[in-house]
Amino acid sequence: MAFFRKKRLFLLLIGIIVLVALIGYSLRDREELSTAEQFINDTVGWAQRAIHTPINYISTIFSNIDDMRNTYSENQLLREKLAEYKSLIYEVQEIKEENEELREIVDKMDSIRDYNPIHATVTARSPERWVEQVTINKGSQAGVKVNMAVITADGMVGKIQSTSQFTSTVQLLTGFDQFNRISATVSREDGNDIFGLIEEYDKESDSLLFKIIEESEQDLEEGELVVSSGMGGVFPAGLVIGKVKEVIPDQYGLTRTALVEPAADLYEIDNVIVVDRILPGEEEEEGEQ
Amino acid sequence: MKRLFLPLLLFIFLVFEGVAIELLPNNLVGDFLIIPHWVLILLIYITIFYDLEDTYHSVVYALIFGLLIDIVYTGTLGVYMFTYAIVTYVIHSLMKVLHSNFYVTVLAGIIGVALADLAIFVIYMVVGITDFAWSVYVGSRLIPTVLANIVFLLLLYPFIAKRLVNWKHEQLNGTT
Repeated sequence: MAFFRKKRLFLLLIGIIVLVALIGYSLRDREELSTAEQFINDTVGWAQRAIHTPINYISTIFSNIDDMRNTYSENQLLREKLAEYKSLIYEVQEIKEENEELREIVDKMDSIRDYNPIHATVTARSPERWVEQVTINKGSQAGVKVNMAVITADGMVGKIQSTSQFTSTVQLLTGFDQFNRISATVSREDGNDIFGLIEEYDKESDSLLFKIIEESEQDLEEGELVVSSGMGGVFPAGLVIGKVKEVIPDQYGLTRTALVEPAADLYEIDNVIVVDRILPGEEEEEGEQ
Repeated sequence: MKRLFLPLLLFIFLVFEGVAIELLPNNLVGDFLIIPHWVLILLIYITIFYDLEDTYHSVVYALIFGLLIDIVYTGTLGVYMFTYAIVTYVIHSLMKVLHSNFYVTVLAGIIGVALADLAIFVIYMVVGITDFAWSVYVGSRLIPTVLANIVFLLLLYPFIAKRLVNWKHEQLNGTT
C-alpha cells in the first residue's frame, strides 16, 4: 500500500512539473503557434464551422422575432436618418474626389488609411470567459497575420492573436491588457486633435482606458469619437474604437484618462473584417511596449 | 467501431462549448460568468458508468481533451489538461466507495465542477490571467457555473447513463 501511495505522489508531482512547463512554454512571447497546435486548431475549426452555421441560423430566428417588435419605431427613426445621409453621400463623394486629386498632385498614393479587407466569419467563442478570444475562419493562407486589427461595421473589436493555416484567434478589446496599446486620437475640426494611447480594458467600469498624452486647450467631451491614429505602425488610421463615456484625472492629477466605451458590440459578433494595412509600418510592433 | 463513440462524443461536446455563449440569453451573459464544462460533465459520466475499478479510460480522455480545450480555446496550455485529469481521478477514487446511481452522479457533478473551476481559478490567478477577488469569484462565477452545469448534467442523464453501462459490458468485460 505504501508503494502505491508513493507512486500516486510521484505522478502528481510529475503532473505539476508538466503543467508548469506547458504554461511557461505557452506564455512565452511566441512568434507563431507550433505545427501541432495549428493542425488541431484547423481541425477543430472545421468542425466548429460545420456546427456554427445551423446554430447561428436558429439564434438569428430568435433575434429576428425580437427585432419585429420594435420595427415601427425603428423605421421612423431610420427614415429621418436616411434623409440626412443622402446629402452626406454627395458631400463625401466630392471630398473623396478632391482628396484623390490632391494626392496625385503631391504624388503620394498610399496613405496610412488604406487597407485590404479580409472578410471572415466568427465560428466560435472561448467558453473560458477570462480569455476573451473568438475564432474566425480565415488563417494565414488567406493572408491573415498576427497583430492585424479586426473590425466590424460598428468599429474595432480586437486584434489577431495567433494564426493557423485556415483559422485564427482574435483577442477582443475586452481582453486587452497593458501590453496591447493602440495609439488613438480624438479628431477635431480645427486641428486640435487630441492624441493618446488606449492602454487597457478596465473591467470595473467596462470601458477602455484612453490615456491622453497631449493636453489640448479644450476639454474632452462626452460622446466624442475615439479613432485609431495609425501612428503605432500596425493598425491603419481611422478605425472607430469607441465613444468617450467619462473623463477622469489620473492618480497624480497630471494627465487625464478618458473612459471609452467600445463602439462595437463585443458579445454578438458574426462577420468581421481583418484589416491588412497597405502601407508597411515600422518594424516596431504595436503589441510591444 | 463502437470504441470510437466516446472520443467522438467528447469531441462534439468540445466543439459545442465554442458556441455555448451564443445560446445563452444576453442578460445572463452580462452579469454572470457561466463557463460550460460540458466535456468535464461527460468525463464524470464516463468515470461513474463506464470505467471499471482498475481501468483509467476517463483519466486518459481527460488528459487528451483537456489539452485540446487549452489549445483551441485559451492558448495557455496545460491548465484544463491538469485540472480535468485531477478531478476525474478524484472522482474515480470516490467511486471505489460509492455506488453508481442518480444521486451519486449529481453529487459527483457538483464536486467535480466546483473543484475544476476552483483549480482553474487558482492557476489563472497565479499565472496572472485573472485578478478577481475570492468573494467576487464565488458569487459571479463559481455558483452560476456549478448550477448551469448541473442543469446540463441532469438533461444528459436519461440519454447517456444506460448507454455507457451497456458499452462498459460490451467493451471492457470482454477484454479484461
